Amino acid sequence: MPDMKNMMLTPSLCITPPHILRAIAANGSPAQRQMALQTLTASEQFRGQRKIMREVLSFLAMFGAEGKQRFVYDARFGGQLPGVLVRQEGEPAIGDAAVNEAYDGAGATYDLFFQVFGRNSIDNRGMRLDSTVHYQQGYDNAFWNGQQMVYGDGDEDLPPEERLFNRFTSALDVIGHELTHGVTQFEADLAYWDQSGALNESMSDVFGSLVKQFQRRQTAAEADWLIGEGLFTSNVKGAGLRSMKAPGTAYDDPILGKDPQPAHMRDYVTTADDNGGVHINSGIPNRAFYVTAFELGGFAWEKAGRVWYKVLTEKLGARSTFQDAANLTFEAAGELFGAGSLEQQAVKTGWAEVGIAIGGNEAGEGCLTAFLRRVGLLPRG
Amino acid sequence: MTRILFERSGGFMGRKVSLEIDMDTLPEEQAGKLWNLLDEADFFDLPDDLRRRPAPDEFTYSITVAAKERQHSVRLSDTSMPDDLRPLLKELNELMRRRL
Repeated sequence: MPDMKNMMLTPSLCITPPHILRAIAANGSPAQRQMALQTLTASEQFRGQRKIMREVLSFLAMFGAEGKQRFVYDARFGGQLPGVLVRQEGEPAIGDAAVNEAYDGAGATYDLFFQVFGRNSIDNRGMRLDSTVHYQQGYDNAFWNGQQMVYGDGDEDLPPEERLFNRFTSALDVIGHELTHGVTQFEADLAYWDQSGALNESMSDVFGSLVKQFQRRQTAAEADWLIGEGLFTSNVKGAGLRSMKAPGTAYDDPILGKDPQPAHMRDYVTTADDNGGVHINSGIPNRAFYVTAFELGGFAWEKAGRVWYKVLTEKLGARSTFQDAANLTFEAAGELFGAGSLEQQAVKTGWAEVGIAIGGNEAGEGCLTAFLRRVGLLPRG
Repeated sequence: MTRILFERSGGFMGRKVSLEIDMDTLPEEQAGKLWNLLDEADFFDLPDDLRRRPAPDEFTYSITVAAKERQHSVRLSDTSMPDDLRPLLKELNELMRRRL
């Protein structure tokens, strides 16, 4: 939920008094609400003020001015996107599990972002949540194509005894992971290679896992911290595709090999594949988040999640490194909970655990340089 | 002697898998099908890198055909796949997954 007390005090909002906003949001027709929203977003005062805009939009969304807009398409085992529309917002479940999972999973992800962080959809402006299921044949994968989520059915085309993967919609955190790629695209827009790409991946795992934890109301100690639990068939020796708690231990299988994720900077993998190992080295920031959340206890979305969300939406840039993420989460924890707070200490512990010291020089540059780069006073990487 | 090397990397798991095909030892019918698909895709005239900005979690593919007189490699991804190449990719994917 947005901080309403602070919002009332935000000078820009004095131009449209909060009680009028509230009246429009609560009593206006859908068209009036939409118009109020558009007027606000178009107005000069809000241009470039992401934080204020976010608060206003989520405030309106709280009163139903915006909401989930889910659309699920069926590619019918072909490669054309988006495919045929088979279910849209408000329509009842249909006789196709993948369709319903994509619909419900997008809803659960929207709910986490909205209810916990006050964010209205992928772009924070109520963007449609488009998903396509049954993409290609034997497609052991899911992805975000820049506009929508896409899911394969795993090894549906092989005989049961040879199948390694179930359909990718069957894991809620995978859906949260894909939708979060959309959020990242509209925020930090982390470049999808090397360390910035691994941070992009890690953000998707963090919020994907939080979607699952939020739905199950699990504490950091209760959660399994696995990504894609249940995606492997019983033919595979593995619990999930990744482990945020213990990167490198999610699977060890004769056919698939062993989980290649490092859990510490000393094991950072240098490779040309996978855009520089974005799905490999994400194990390092993943574990930093896990340790931070575990140190703090309780629900991970309440403290660690808020810190990471603030960094994703306000601090990280396209070419940010692991060191930047460490420094900036530390900074954000200080802003949210106070300098020297337990929360800030937990963030420090989280990164120390994976071999990154706050304010350190891992990338060959310090806090100030990273800051100047981020605000555009120095060229980005 | 003609060989095809097919590699798939990236994806949600970031796992690399590959398949090497010796066209001369392949059953005639299967080799003929692959040659047809390579022809239909105008494979030897394709640019060597079709990829655009990478889409998160998509697969990246690399196809190399090495024949006696010519060799060519093409790199592409799920979101940068020309329609003409889909049937070839489908066939190579099937062969690869069956041999895993």
